[in-house]
Amino acid sequence: MMRWSDLPALLAFCLLLVGGQAQARLYDDVVASGYVRVGVYRDFPPYSYLKDGKPAGVDVELGQAIADELGVDLQLHWITPDETLEDDLRNSVWKGHYLDKDEENPLALRNVADVMLRVPYDRDYAYKRDSLGLLINERVVMMSPYHQERWQLAFDSEKLESVRTLAKFQYHPIGVEIDSLPAFYLTSALQGRMRDNTHHYNNPRLAFDAMKQGKVSAVMAMRSEIDWLLNEEGGERYRRAENGFPDMGKQAWDIGIAVGEGDRDVGYAVETVFDRMIRDGSMAALFARYGLTYEKPSLYLATH
Amino acid sequence: MKRLGLSTGFAVTALVAAMSTANVAQAGVTDEDILNDHMTTDDVVSNGLGVQGQRFSPLAKLNTKNVQELRPVWSFSFGGEKQRGQESQPLVKDGVMYVTGSYSRVFAIDVKTGEEIWEYNARLPDGIMPCCDVINRGVALYDDLVIFGTLDAKLVALNKDTGKTVWKKTVSDYQEGYSLTAAPLIVKGKVITGVSGGEFGVVGKVEAYDAKTGDLVWTRPTVEGHMGYVYKDGKKVENGISGGKPGQTWPGDLWKTGGAATWLGGYYDPDTDSIFIGTGNPAPWNSHMRPGDNLFSSSRLAIDPDDGKIKWHFQTTPHDGWDFDGVNELISFDYKEGGKTVKAAATADRNGFFYVLNRENGDFIRGFPFVDKVSWAKGLDKNGRPIYIEENRPGNPAAAEKGSTVVAQPSFLGGKNWMPMAYSQDTGYFYVPSNEWAMDIWNEPVNYKKGAAYLGAGFTIHPTNDEYIGVLRAIDPKSGKEVWRYENYAPLWGGVLATAGNLVFTGNPEGYLMAFDAKSGEMVYKFNTGSGIVGSPITWEMDGEQYVSVVSGWGGAVPLWGGEVAKRVKHLNQGGSVWTFKLPASAEMASK
Repeated sequence: MMRWSDLPALLAFCLLLVGGQAQARLYDDVVASGYVRVGVYRDFPPYSYLKDGKPAGVDVELGQAIADELGVDLQLHWITPDETLEDDLRNSVWKGHYLDKDEENPLALRNVADVMLRVPYDRDYAYKRDSLGLLINERVVMMSPYHQERWQLAFDSEKLESVRTLAKFQYHPIGVEIDSLPAFYLTSALQGRMRDNTHHYNNPRLAFDAMKQGKVSAVMAMRSEIDWLLNEEGGERYRRAENGFPDMGKQAWDIGIAVGEGDRDVGYAVETVFDRMIRDGSMAALFARYGLTYEKPSLYLATH
Repeated sequence: MKRLGLSTGFAVTALVAAMSTANVAQAGVTDEDILNDHMTTDDVVSNGLGVQGQRFSPLAKLNTKNVQELRPVWSFSFGGEKQRGQESQPLVKDGVMYVTGSYSRVFAIDVKTGEEIWEYNARLPDGIMPCCDVINRGVALYDDLVIFGTLDAKLVALNKDTGKTVWKKTVSDYQEGYSLTAAPLIVKGKVITGVSGGEFGVVGKVEAYDAKTGDLVWTRPTVEGHMGYVYKDGKKVENGISGGKPGQTWPGDLWKTGGAATWLGGYYDPDTDSIFIGTGNPAPWNSHMRPGDNLFSSSRLAIDPDDGKIKWHFQTTPHDGWDFDGVNELISFDYKEGGKTVKAAATADRNGFFYVLNRENGDFIRGFPFVDKVSWAKGLDKNGRPIYIEENRPGNPAAAEKGSTVVAQPSFLGGKNWMPMAYSQDTGYFYVPSNEWAMDIWNEPVNYKKGAAYLGAGFTIHPTNDEYIGVLRAIDPKSGKEVWRYENYAPLWGGVLATAGNLVFTGNPEGYLMAFDAKSGEMVYKFNTGSGIVGSPITWEMDGEQYVSVVSGWGGAVPLWGGEVAKRVKHLNQGGSVWTFKLPASAEMASK
């Protein structure tokens, strides 16, 4: 089922007044409480995942950097992704999830993150309006871009000599994550000529495993995911492709944070840390530790 | 169990035990009870008031002459903070009502007093994200068990007297996107269940479990290419691939994740010994990714209750591109034509067409629009297949630009959604709760999912009339004519009940339980229950008096959707209660 989850802002606002809803904590409350709650996606390497039972990943380490800056402890708010980012922002930043209820303490506020990471930084998205002309995401502020992400292919060099264009996948199988843009693209772009060779997996790791088992000759996913998989695998057999993605709308996008609309000060504190890390190279070094290519968000490219 | 003080809980239980021994009938519910449910008036032991799901009661004590005297006798609150979408149909057996509330709760209520006997709250896992809201549509009864499905996709059987768990089985992994919301069906000692789940590449299935033990008996996937199994002496035995083999109506490997969730459950027709169950839309939602009919999505299936084999299928929306789930109920009924009895079945689809099928073989008999306008098809061909208007198919989001807006009518919430219609054996009409709305749908290149660029479709639903969205229709399945209609400002989202008293009951989001003259459509009764009605009413008799019960509590899918429709429902308050009414014997006598 498709879902139309954009409650008009007015309705959303009314709901918020009903009570039992979450409220973003203000900067002073965060500092006074001794912890900051940072939202990261669950089971999502190389950004945020568990390694030997311990939280790991680029976003988890950035959460620690935020906590250090504020002089508080890090508390992770693991996010199970919903269908779209709008749902995640509602569930994890401004309203809380409707199932998150405390039976013993019904007046308790729902858990939300003080800061959510890995939120695209895109003006068109942030100011998107619904059919009534109301801002869809007016209860959150998207700010502090820290990374630029794009699509990438990896291929099995024993199956394919090289991948310079996507034409190869009219003849060779390729693995993608189900219900992702690569899945859309490979099954419908170029008159659907790659459709029959597109194999769907629950995540890029499973697609990569399928490549290692010889079931597919290539995998398409986000560049950080591909970089991390290749880095974990090591060796020369699996390689980055050099192809482009013709007719694809959005080839690269910036990643930043989201905070509650009434709570920008926490966002400014994050911006201070991230800006320093980007300028002094420690952001790139952090990505490199996970074997990832680091590309600065477009804001920085324009001002240098 | 609800956290009552131990002494209180014990006192209540003891009281019930005392009352129970005073009552005569204490035997558990049998297959025969369930098969005869449409004829027995002193209980309601199946979803649909009979396994065929006609929702027709032969009771006539309450009728158009005396319905004004119908009066509430008690109201029971589900309590707590959880007041969201009460879509349940109560069951009644031996003086006890069994009803579910949202968030996977079950209540046993003394029908004489409205007092709670026991309550079961399923412990849901932390971080669960059920696909399809938190509603539940009711329990099944078998032997001394009360059986229902939970949001974390488990079947739970409770002891009918204590509410204690007897068995619990995982139907599917909730972490993979599955859930259970439908009322289970009992056929020949087996619990028949489908699965809910719309995204994440789920595959629909129908399963049978031994009602007494919870052991899996057979499983039947509803997407072409997947193997079905029967279980014999604990061994899993292959029982044929659904549709024969993969790849006939799906490109590439998309059949592996093809959707077609069986989220509304099914009904059983003893005449043909078939389970009738519908399937949801195919995945992924963008139809341009999956040329082909995409079987068995958006279809009705006739399934052999003994081993789960698909006997026949009828696909209402081949190659769906509008999210027209095919889950709506297929209701068995017989009619006379040229002196012969036709064993038919009817369904009012999301897509706006009403279909009459031969229930012995699935052949199309006739079909016609039951809504005022259908924008996506010119009509049906001689086999019942829609004649598409290609330019009204939503565009391909993989095209980089924001495509043109397509108007689809009905909207994806359907000419009729989940809410079950009723069939009157007296009038020969179906009473169909329907809605008049359209959607604009367009490609949306600026979208994100889990930190990645994503191609979405934007859509908004709008009413097609200023005065009403909901329309309760009396439809003659033989002529295709609408005999009467009742128009409702807010969308209709509750089930319908027809009775031999020439009455048709349904509820509306404004909170009213309403009764209509089954022949004329005149509204002859209404009572406001305090919150919107999105459940299905029942009727039965006790101590010589006729009772009516309905669950009240606004919610379900409608308030989740924005746009113009939200304006019509945003002032409606949530709730969670059961209302029970009766016609006092004195009023019945007076009306004679």
